[in-house]
Amino acid sequence: MDAPKIISRRALLRGVGVAGAAAVAAPAGLLVSTSDAGAAPAAAQTSAGAAAGRQVYQHLTASEAELLEAMVDRLIPADALGPGAKDAGVLTYIDRALGSALASSRAAYTAGLAALDRYASASRGQGFLALNARDRDSVLMDVESGTVTPGIFTGNSTQFFSMVLGHTRQGMFGDPFYGGNKDFIGWDLLRYPGVRTTVTAADQKSLEADQLKPNHRSAYDNEMFVKATARNDAHDQDHNGDGHGH
Amino acid sequence: MATNLKGTDVVVIGLGAAGGVAVLPLAQAGIDVIGLEAGGVVTRRDFAPDEIRNNVRGWPFLSSHKTNQEAPTFRATASAAAVRGGHPMMNAVGGTSMHYWAQHWRLNPWDFKVVSETKRRYGANRIPKGSTVEDWPFGYDEIEPYYDKIEYELGVSGQAGNINGTIDARGNPFEGPRKRAYPMPPLRWTAFHEKMAAAATRLGWHPFPGPAAINSRSYQNRSGCMYHGFCNTGGCHVEAKNSTAVTTIPRAQATGKLKVVTGATVTEINVDSQGLASGVTYVMNGETFFQPAKVVLVASFTYENSRLLLLSKSTAYPKGLSNNHGQVGRHYFSHHQGAPVTALFPFDIKAWYGLPAQGVAVDNFADDNFDHASYDFIGGCNLWAMSDRRPISASGMNTLGLAPNWGSQWKQFIRENADRTHSSYNQKTTLPYEDNFLDLDPTVKDPLGLPVIRITGEFKDNERKIAQFSQDKMEQWYREAGAIQVTRGPVGGAMGASTHAYGGTRMGDNPETNVVNRWGMSHEVPNLGVLGGSVMGTSGARNPTHTMQALAWRTADHIAKEWKNIVKG
Amino acid sequence: MRSLLTAAGSAVVMCASLAASPLFAQTAPQTITVTSPTLVAGQTMPKQHTPDGRNDSPALSWSNVPAGTKEFIVICEDPEAGNPPPFVHWVIYKIPGSAKGLPEALPIDTATPMPAGLEGAVQGLNGFRRPVYRGPAPPPGNPHPYHFVVYALDTALAAPKAGVPAMGRAELLEAMKGHVLGQGELVAMYGRNRTQ
Repeated sequence: MDAPKIISRRALLRGVGVAGAAAVAAPAGLLVSTSDAGAAPAAAQTSAGAAAGRQVYQHLTASEAELLEAMVDRLIPADALGPGAKDAGVLTYIDRALGSALASSRAAYTAGLAALDRYASASRGQGFLALNARDRDSVLMDVESGTVTPGIFTGNSTQFFSMVLGHTRQGMFGDPFYGGNKDFIGWDLLRYPGVRTTVTAADQKSLEADQLKPNHRSAYDNEMFVKATARNDAHDQDHNGDGHGH
Repeated sequence: MATNLKGTDVVVIGLGAAGGVAVLPLAQAGIDVIGLEAGGVVTRRDFAPDEIRNNVRGWPFLSSHKTNQEAPTFRATASAAAVRGGHPMMNAVGGTSMHYWAQHWRLNPWDFKVVSETKRRYGANRIPKGSTVEDWPFGYDEIEPYYDKIEYELGVSGQAGNINGTIDARGNPFEGPRKRAYPMPPLRWTAFHEKMAAAATRLGWHPFPGPAAINSRSYQNRSGCMYHGFCNTGGCHVEAKNSTAVTTIPRAQATGKLKVVTGATVTEINVDSQGLASGVTYVMNGETFFQPAKVVLVASFTYENSRLLLLSKSTAYPKGLSNNHGQVGRHYFSHHQGAPVTALFPFDIKAWYGLPAQGVAVDNFADDNFDHASYDFIGGCNLWAMSDRRPISASGMNTLGLAPNWGSQWKQFIRENADRTHSSYNQKTTLPYEDNFLDLDPTVKDPLGLPVIRITGEFKDNERKIAQFSQDKMEQWYREAGAIQVTRGPVGGAMGASTHAYGGTRMGDNPETNVVNRWGMSHEVPNLGVLGGSVMGTSGARNPTHTMQALAWRTADHIAKEWKNIVKG
Repeated sequence: MRSLLTAAGSAVVMCASLAASPLFAQTAPQTITVTSPTLVAGQTMPKQHTPDGRNDSPALSWSNVPAGTKEFIVICEDPEAGNPPPFVHWVIYKIPGSAKGLPEALPIDTATPMPAGLEGAVQGLNGFRRPVYRGPAPPPGNPHPYHFVVYALDTALAAPKAGVPAMGRAELLEAMKGHVLGQGELVAMYGRNRTQ
């Protein structure tokens, strides 16, 4: 039996390093949601009880997760510029969200991923996972443009592609509280120096001189904030930049 | 079966930007006020800088909010089918002033006299065809003291451009004369704002920092702005954003004269046998209550203001309360604030922090500030370059034909360019038209079974031409500042539900064409008043909040002064 | 619009109606012969060049090229699609004047280098705003014609500039004005079945 781990509150909030699925009592005064923060998290990659090297997901099936991971790995790949969506835990983000705010997309994921695999076989001769990177990209371009062979996707393959790309960006560049942007991989890629509650004139000048170091903090590392709670809300629209002033 | 409550002097429906202001002068005058708010209380602890919650999942727009449940339908014209969109506002004590951008502009003098000024300078045939625009019942000078009051009572930061006729070149040389400076200096500029200002100056324009209902330094024991970058559709974690929830409402409560009731959805305004308002009916936790009052103030945002009146039918008002002249819902318009221009620069903007109320304004092309002899429109646009960037949104930027939207080339592109685009925000003169109006949707209902509002409206030629003109000017500005690529959004079609919604209960002297009089009181129902953008007949090149708050204070002052006459009927 | 076709076995296409067509830059008489190992003029192209298959660009060869040719441009377009037509499936320019054709399956990303002999060639923006070949995906029903048009220019076009998108068909037609020494095309068909 392992010696008990000392788990930092930050790690607790991210559901990291906690073995097993048992709910962990939150420290007094801390409001932690059951879904978005992963207080009852899936086993981390190295914890006992999980298949070696395999993450266990709460909502995606194992084969859905494999396909989806292969897809997001092409959307934001690991390359010379650094790690990508896979390393950033985009799958964890999407999986958790499918149990809460994105629950209304669950069926679309099942249908779309199956169709993606069928289309890969029908057009490229092998399932998506068996294709090399170039052919995976070629398949995804056609799914994106909606030019896939008719009858394989129910409805619009472009809609499925846009949904996954949108969720991938959320998982890559959103607050790590939600399970993605692991180790701030996403924010570092964008050169975003991180969420901070105070930005002085000196900080702004430092940013303008390319000298503001990323602080690698989640908004919820700040104890003053009430945690976002899980919502079974179909209102998954991107309101960003909608041109509406207030 | 409604529970009858103890009567009060004034009941205010809605404690947002407008209702939240009116309660203070009423309470200070010793009047008992009950404020009925459909939403609840949110505090700074609820305002984590969290893009997923605030901006992606639309936290303030949760399906449980009343706004979402009564989102209007909209159609461009009466011959089109109406469709349902979302509702851009939120419910809370403080209303949408909790998360709005808090740009806080006075209207220019021209905005009050569009008809007479256009006739004088260009001729009557320059008033756009089909427009129902009227001069306001008073001019800028009448409302100036109330602009001043709001600026000092709530806290507005800015740079004056015209104090009693003396022009200060650091401010807006086109603004109406003000009695004194703003109580706080303007929000700071970034290096990019300085660059844009310098470019505007080279073009012969007059750039200046915009005014905001946001503390630029400590004010009234509240903090100055932290510039953290989550102000857009985000609440303020340090209460530097001067929503009514942290300014006028708590001060009104401190007098002991204001009682705030949350979770209250008003379904009807009731009248007595003499045709006077007698109070309101509201639903809370499934129970129905009747709140009697001597005066009723409707302050539930433009759509709900018209809606409540249309739903409140009686023998005296068979077409809806205060609607015997058929003016409720008329002269509606969504502000033309879209048609953005986006520029790509070959350098970082450094806009990760900052806020939409922080920026450079140019008013040279607003209103009638320039000669329209060679143009075929009246009015104009405010040009505004602000700060507004967050990671997820930045990652979704248009790649402008330079890279695909995903993959390794995209990674390279986004790493270089995520902080290199800038989009403009241009508010434009928008006028009311005969064809644009609000009414009750014939089929769509809210969860209580009451019809929602239907918007019938589209942007007309005049406004689309202004939009095109504003894009030309913006492109010129961006290129002067060094932009290497510029793209334009569409100039506007149907009017959807907007954060800047005007009309439906227009203010004017003529009861045949206006719902409320120059004081904001109904022409037909003497003890009924209306607050908010719904009373405004023109928009100017500004958002409505400052003006509607000034009008709300003015209406409250009037009620206090004329109490005996108003309640007598 | 249909092309007039010669007998099967010859891949030379004479398009009599081309002179009147607004869709083709008719600045020079057609002299170039365009062939392909997988495309037969007037016939259905194999699936491998479409999204029903691998969606690889076809190999093309050209001959009877005018003297003084500095660069080639190849455009693949469907005059029966697009709003307005044609819909552009592929644009590739700055092909060296020494090239005799294009091999099959050119790169689908801008990081992968062009094959030997095609150094400097640039894939421009197709109708999907992507610098790649994307083959036919007509709506189910009648087959559409896909024109692989080869232009020979007497000049080298400007190299792509940083921060400026690669050229599409419209920009290329503008840039090639007055510089076309000759052109040729190969038209192949493709259709999709109506779904059950």
